[in-house]
Amino acid sequence: MTSLTVESPATGQLRGSRATPWLGILIVLAGWELAGHLLTAAFVLAAPSEVIGYLLREWQLMGRALWTTLGNAAAGFLIGNLAALLLAGVALLWPRSERIVTGLALLVFCLPLVATGPILRVFFGPGSGPQIILAALAVYYTTLIPLLVGLRAAPDSWFDLVRSYGRGRFAALIHVRAMAALPYFFTGLQIAAPAAFLGAMVGEFTGAEKGMGVLTIRALRALDVEMTWAVATVATAVAILAYVAIGSLARRVLLSDPPVILATPQSARTQRTAWWDAVLVTLLALAIWTSALWIFNLNPFFAKGPTQVFDALFIAADAAATRATLGGALSETALFLIPGYLTGLVAGAGLAIVLVLAPALSSTAMPLAIALRSVPIVTTAPLVVLLLGRGATGTITLVAIMVFFPTLVACLHGLRQTPGQVLDVFDSYAAGPVTRLIRVRIPAMLPAFFAAARMAVPASVLAITVAEWLATGSGIGSLMALSASLSDYDMLWSSVVIVSALSALGYGLVGMIERRVLATYAPEQLS
Amino acid sequence: MAPDRTPPPEVICTGLAKVFDSGTEAVQSLDLTFAAGQTTALVGPSGCGKSTVLRMIAGLETPSSGEVQIDGAPPAETLRKAGLSVAFQDPSLLPWRSVRGNIELALSLARRPIDASAIDQLIALVGLDGFGDTRPAALSGGMRQRAAIARALATKPGLLLLDEPFGAVDELTRQQLAQDLPRIWEAQGTTTVLVTHSVSEAVLLSDRVIVLSPRPAKIVADIDIALPRPRMAEMVRETAATDLIEQVFTALSDGMAAADRPLAAQ
Ligand SMILES: Nc1ncnc2c1ncn2[C@@H]1O[C@H](COP(=O)(O)OP(=O)(O)OP(=O)(O)O)[C@@H](O)[C@H]1O
Ligand SMILES: [Mg+2]
Repeated sequence: MTSLTVESPATGQLRGSRATPWLGILIVLAGWELAGHLLTAAFVLAAPSEVIGYLLREWQLMGRALWTTLGNAAAGFLIGNLAALLLAGVALLWPRSERIVTGLALLVFCLPLVATGPILRVFFGPGSGPQIILAALAVYYTTLIPLLVGLRAAPDSWFDLVRSYGRGRFAALIHVRAMAALPYFFTGLQIAAPAAFLGAMVGEFTGAEKGMGVLTIRALRALDVEMTWAVATVATAVAILAYVAIGSLARRVLLSDPPVILATPQSARTQRTAWWDAVLVTLLALAIWTSALWIFNLNPFFAKGPTQVFDALFIAADAAATRATLGGALSETALFLIPGYLTGLVAGAGLAIVLVLAPALSSTAMPLAIALRSVPIVTTAPLVVLLLGRGATGTITLVAIMVFFPTLVACLHGLRQTPGQVLDVFDSYAAGPVTRLIRVRIPAMLPAFFAAARMAVPASVLAITVAEWLATGSGIGSLMALSASLSDYDMLWSSVVIVSALSALGYGLVGMIERRVLATYAPEQLS
Repeated sequence: MAPDRTPPPEVICTGLAKVFDSGTEAVQSLDLTFAAGQTTALVGPSGCGKSTVLRMIAGLETPSSGEVQIDGAPPAETLRKAGLSVAFQDPSLLPWRSVRGNIELALSLARRPIDASAIDQLIALVGLDGFGDTRPAALSGGMRQRAAIARALATKPGLLLLDEPFGAVDELTRQQLAQDLPRIWEAQGTTTVLVTHSVSEAVLLSDRVIVLSPRPAKIVADIDIALPRPRMAEMVRETAATDLIEQVFTALSDGMAAADRPLAAQ
């Protein structure tokens, strides 16, 4: 059993508790079954027994769809992770490029899948191209970030050791850097596996012939409650299984749990270099965009370049109307997005604090939270909408749930990282639990909280655009879907640009708040 | 014995100095010669620059001025032949490798053949019998240091640089190691530089003790230790040794006083 107590090689952080999530899962299942029976008349919820019944009846249909989606997800997983490895390699060989690489990667990660899907569909036509690419887009960033952290995780003295035997950078890469990065790579893969499934499903929403995403749309259109729940259940189960499988593979290879990483730690760069980076990244993105259109020689009717988007937004005769439509849609979205985002953050951090004050509760809740974090919440969007309606409550709840789980896990992790000796010092002054919480634990939690808050920005945008597209029919997500189906490519590309830019700006804004807060409350956490 | 032995080199430092980029002046113009095959101890107050001197000899740190010559060539030459090894102050064992795995890695980095029974002997010698397949995380601090010493000895280096190798080891084991280990490097014939905080250990292990001043490191005293070998742990209580120990202590406190830095300020 020694392997389970082994510290993470590079970070020495606490390992997750080994309690199994079974108790929590049983409670959830029982509550679900009960609710299913209570709400039979409402046609919103199918109980587990009904879901199982449906699966037994329709296992062939479901099996074929699952097989298709798994195949696309696996291909996207492979491509996305290879891309992450490649980008990390570039950043390693040429350290100065790292901030530019991560900046560009973030911008691409902020592309609204809801709009990239239809655009890719036009490029690829029928087939599985868009699904695979969306799956790859959904995973590469979450692998890249831990990899970059991992590649820097080895202490200098290990490199000195290699040098002291007269060996160079290559031996250090093989024997030290790669090995030290391995746990972080697994962390990335673990988060990537469910995300790839999600990406493939979103790709299938955009007019694929088969797959779980297609079934989702069909069930929603037909208002088939059992089918909706069955598809969501299978998608959730697959996501959790993939997460657990990679976790146990990691434990086998590493003899310890992969570390918890949610985003890059804030670098110590100044505000000015941050702006400069942003400008550089934007220019590069524009250059890549223009040259991609030129190289692939795409039909200008649907492939719009930066100048055409600028034209549509500011110069064309209907530019004012376009801007008004976009603005209206965006404010509709913001009205639900911002409350949902904030609720998710507050609820996640709040529950984490409660769980730390009541440790008995957390041994049940923590594994469940970790497992649920892996669920691509978007695949359950239809359920939330079924349950809570197509109005404000449903949408806000969906966004909140999307933000809630990663925040909870991150905050629990941050809270548990409070150095024991510091708490001992406070104990020796007979400080009460509240004092300890405010003076020691919450400051220790802040970096993890903000890392989660940053990553939650693109995630919540994804959640709300998917919900708007699939269900509510309002906001920017619906506008993008509508423009795609009306072949209004000026509007579609403009929305893509604006949504990505706003997501990236939101990410940057949270980062700025993070620096301010950490500088005041936890200055030691800033490198 | 084995053909892969490198003969012990002579190490000459001339005008060796180090100022870090941060502006910290760690070492100030040091002139020192470490005779081939001798063991030299460096003692001095914490933070005075001992590790920095050792790292410059190992070619891991570039001197700001002055130079290190190992048998008349720069350290890079010795590094190229894997002719030295360092036991770092922090044991720096790779956590994903067992004790044996760490030793094997050193051998393969140094491009030396891996001889399983020789490794077992070394592991036993540092008192880690039965822990060969254990990973560092499951070892105590002192056990890790002993594993690091075994690793440093494994490549049979001509030049052995030990940075507080027994810092986390208990007093009795320390004495045992201090008595046993020199036999290996004497048998192998190495030039050994040992940094230690224990004055009695310095006297017991070395042919010569160099006392350094507080930062920036300068030589305060250079004391020959003409005690007969082999040396036994009990010898530290004999007059010949206690005199020498006294001498080192006096030099240390003179160095402190000269630097006008009371202990509390260190
Ligand atoms: N990489 C570095 N950059 C800047 N300053 C450094 C660096 N390494 C060491 N120093 C400084 O140089 C001085 C000497 O450090 P060194 O590690 O050589 O001391 P030491 O004598 O080995 O101390 P100890 O006995 O505590 O190990 C210290 O003031 C330290 O802060
Ligand atoms: Mg030192």
